[in-house]
Amino acid sequence: MARVTKAEREIERLLWRAGFGARPGEARRLARRGRPAVVRDLLQPRGPQVAGPPPRTEDGPLDPLNVWSHDMLWWLDRCVRTRHPLAERMTLNWHDHFATSNRKVGDVTLMMAHYRVLRRHALGRVRDLLHALLDDGAMRLWLDLAGSDRRAPNENFARELFELFTLGVNNGYDEDDVRAAARALTGITFDWRARTFGFDDKRHDDGVKRILGRTGRFRPHDVVDLAVDHPAHAPYLCGRLWSYFTPRPCPPATLQRMARAYRAAGTDVRPVLRIILEHPTLYADLDAPDQVKPPVVFVAGALRRLGRGVTTREWGWMLGEMGQEPFYPPSVAGWDQDEAWLTPATVRARFHAVSRLLRDGVPEGGVPATQTPRAAVAAAIRACGNPPVSPQLRRVLDRHARRAVAGRTEPWEVRHYYPERQRVLRHLLLAGPEAQVC
Amino acid sequence: MDGRLQGPEGRGTGTGGMRRVGCDEWRSTRRAFGARAAAAMPVPAEALEGLGRLAEGGGLTRRDLLERGAGLVLLSGALATLSPRAVMEAAAAQAAAAPDATILVSLYLDGGNDGLNTLVPLRDPRYPVLRRTLAVAPETTLPLPDTGDFGWHPSVPEIADLYRRGMVAVLPSVDYATPDQSHFNSASFWRTGVVGPTHDRTGWLGRTIDAVGTADNPLQAVSVSGTLDPVLQSRRAAVGTVHDPGAFSFWMHDVWGADAFTRPYREASRGGRGRGLVAAQRAYRNAFDMVDMLRPLRTDREHPLPPVPVAYPDSPLGRKMRNLARMLGAGFGTRIAAVSSGGFDTHDDQAAEHPGLLADLSTTLGAFQADLGARGLAHRVLTLVWSEFGRRPQENGTGTDHGAGGLLLLVGERANGGIRSEWPGLATLDPRANLRVTTEFRTVYASLLEQWLAVEAARILPRIDGGRLPLVRPA
Repeated sequence: MARVTKAEREIERLLWRAGFGARPGEARRLARRGRPAVVRDLLQPRGPQVAGPPPRTEDGPLDPLNVWSHDMLWWLDRCVRTRHPLAERMTLNWHDHFATSNRKVGDVTLMMAHYRVLRRHALGRVRDLLHALLDDGAMRLWLDLAGSDRRAPNENFARELFELFTLGVNNGYDEDDVRAAARALTGITFDWRARTFGFDDKRHDDGVKRILGRTGRFRPHDVVDLAVDHPAHAPYLCGRLWSYFTPRPCPPATLQRMARAYRAAGTDVRPVLRIILEHPTLYADLDAPDQVKPPVVFVAGALRRLGRGVTTREWGWMLGEMGQEPFYPPSVAGWDQDEAWLTPATVRARFHAVSRLLRDGVPEGGVPATQTPRAAVAAAIRACGNPPVSPQLRRVLDRHARRAVAGRTEPWEVRHYYPERQRVLRHLLLAGPEAQVC
Repeated sequence: MDGRLQGPEGRGTGTGGMRRVGCDEWRSTRRAFGARAAAAMPVPAEALEGLGRLAEGGGLTRRDLLERGAGLVLLSGALATLSPRAVMEAAAAQAAAAPDATILVSLYLDGGNDGLNTLVPLRDPRYPVLRRTLAVAPETTLPLPDTGDFGWHPSVPEIADLYRRGMVAVLPSVDYATPDQSHFNSASFWRTGVVGPTHDRTGWLGRTIDAVGTADNPLQAVSVSGTLDPVLQSRRAAVGTVHDPGAFSFWMHDVWGADAFTRPYREASRGGRGRGLVAAQRAYRNAFDMVDMLRPLRTDREHPLPPVPVAYPDSPLGRKMRNLARMLGAGFGTRIAAVSSGGFDTHDDQAAEHPGLLADLSTTLGAFQADLGARGLAHRVLTLVWSEFGRRPQENGTGTDHGAGGLLLLVGERANGGIRSEWPGLATLDPRANLRVTTEFRTVYASLLEQWLAVEAARILPRIDGGRLPLVRPA
């Protein structure tokens, strides 16, 4: 086996953290290109967003609007076929940050439009993204902007705008700011029959409000600007961005540098992401992976690694068992990240997802008795798209490769146990503890 | 809710056509067995009857003991046919699990059960007016011995019977102040135990197991479901999700026997570095431990489901509660369990659908209590039956819309049977024409935490006040 260089392992990690993992041979190719160039390409993607044939399942082509779970498959497919991995990964990160769920919205058309808003602004200015979300139908239903009336202002959006989207809990605002912002956000209407949104000046509170230290007859979009202009916003948002790429704490000096870059770029996230993706913390301790792959990343990554696409609707409920259904975050605070992804039940779901993936991989009688343990391990690693293998996992694989066929010499035994050995080795590479982390 | 199906349990969850679970091989003794179990006392003798029969086939195994409850066998002293070692092994398992620890089961009726048509307010003159087509005819209701104000829906004879025997505490209008009629919001408040927006996703029972449990017994809190019941979402404590203990295992295609992969997987789950890797290895170790713990409950041709005194309905709820009873009986140290049953969002066609849902619930509760009795667990288990809200008193023609003030039941030998909170009546409704809420659900939680689980309520429920209801009878 060719030696895996440090540069290659760094690219391998980068592609997991800033995307959905490497396709076969990709890490090696990009390592030769050099990390700065790779980061540049991630930040400035060109060409079509996805490549390869669109998916087909048992139900035929994907029909997210009409067939249950196809919305989730549609999102998963975007991740699998993406040619703009960082933009696509940031879309998923924003989905966690803005955590809008179809469980309440109840309208896949609006949710798909919501996805497009997140995707369009994924690598752009947060200010633009927030303004677009204020105009977004799914968000307007999700946080009860629609129907909020000056006689009874709904505080849901105002509160989350400060608390989750822009400033952080109790970070530079108080209850009076929330209430005043809710007043400024009144007037948005929704016609349930026609399913159209509007604005009714008679329902809008046009009085003078005091919000975050500023006074005026603020209207809905003013609230977004007030929040983004608040001095607590840049450090809060940059800290959130950092947390999507590493569970390690952000050095204070780095946070300051990111916040300055963010402000200087007019809330453009790209300079911030460049700092994160070039930071030594991201590449520290390559032997001790500390980030848990979110289920969507785990599944999309496995499919990419194997050169496969989304071919079954089963991914819908399997993602549910793993704890992450795109379009259906569990609450307005998004998904619990990192170790919280892994429980006995969710890890079992990941295990079985790979069992399904590897179905029909190696036929009975398909491996000769002459295959040495070493060759068996090498074949498994190759078949799995050459994932990184730690020395510890390597020892486990070697030991299993020897043990699994020991004493199996009868023809019927060879016919079954040699392929079975291969199935288990591949499974360990794709679903074992190391495959869950990056 | 949105009616989306999740996971294997989601398929074919119709509750209609409830066949009884086949227990044919045990029919000869089931009646006698059931009759005594229904006396709802801890019944070592009954359990022994079952054991004796099992023992005829060549002595008891650890599996039998786990299934029937080793504590019972020790209690009875009738150990002649048992190998001492088998007893001790199972007893150790039981003892390690604190043999007298109380157990709380959360049974969630998903969608908002119509309390008014479950416990019918017979003497409320507004009831037949508001429920012009859906009113339950008074003469068909099942009486309560202590009050003529209410009658049980004819589909819940088992609940009526348990009530008559003092085993059901009834709270007719439980919710929270200014109820929100969204399933999403209300269910989330009930699950987290926090009314209003919160970013804490832990469930109130998850926080409870954090307080009373450990980091490494994944079966101390069991979600009997395909995916974790949010009420059990914990911060630190291990929590198990087991839909069917008879089928909790790992599989790979065309791999003969789980040993082929369990050993290398266990080897790969040790000795790593890095937060994420350590977490992944621990999750795998816990999962494979669960497989080992649940192995004695596995069912197959040689090991059919053991008999139960009263048949459970062959419905998703019936199967879940039967599975739960088996796990409780095995003595894994389970303190908390969560189960849910769907279909209660009866906006239309309520006359056709609601009775079947109630019958399913009632039959299941009856069978569960008898099963617990036979396992000697009846004094240790309370079941809290709740829903995110009740339904609008004014029917909509074919069904009922989202309301407030739901009917809450606490079922079990130690439940303080009777009507235990104020009935608000239908004469005056709240500003949204819903039942007025007389009892906050958090008061119920706080009472159960302190009276049943011996946990200070303020540790689990932020900003809880001092109000409590007497829901549990002293032992």
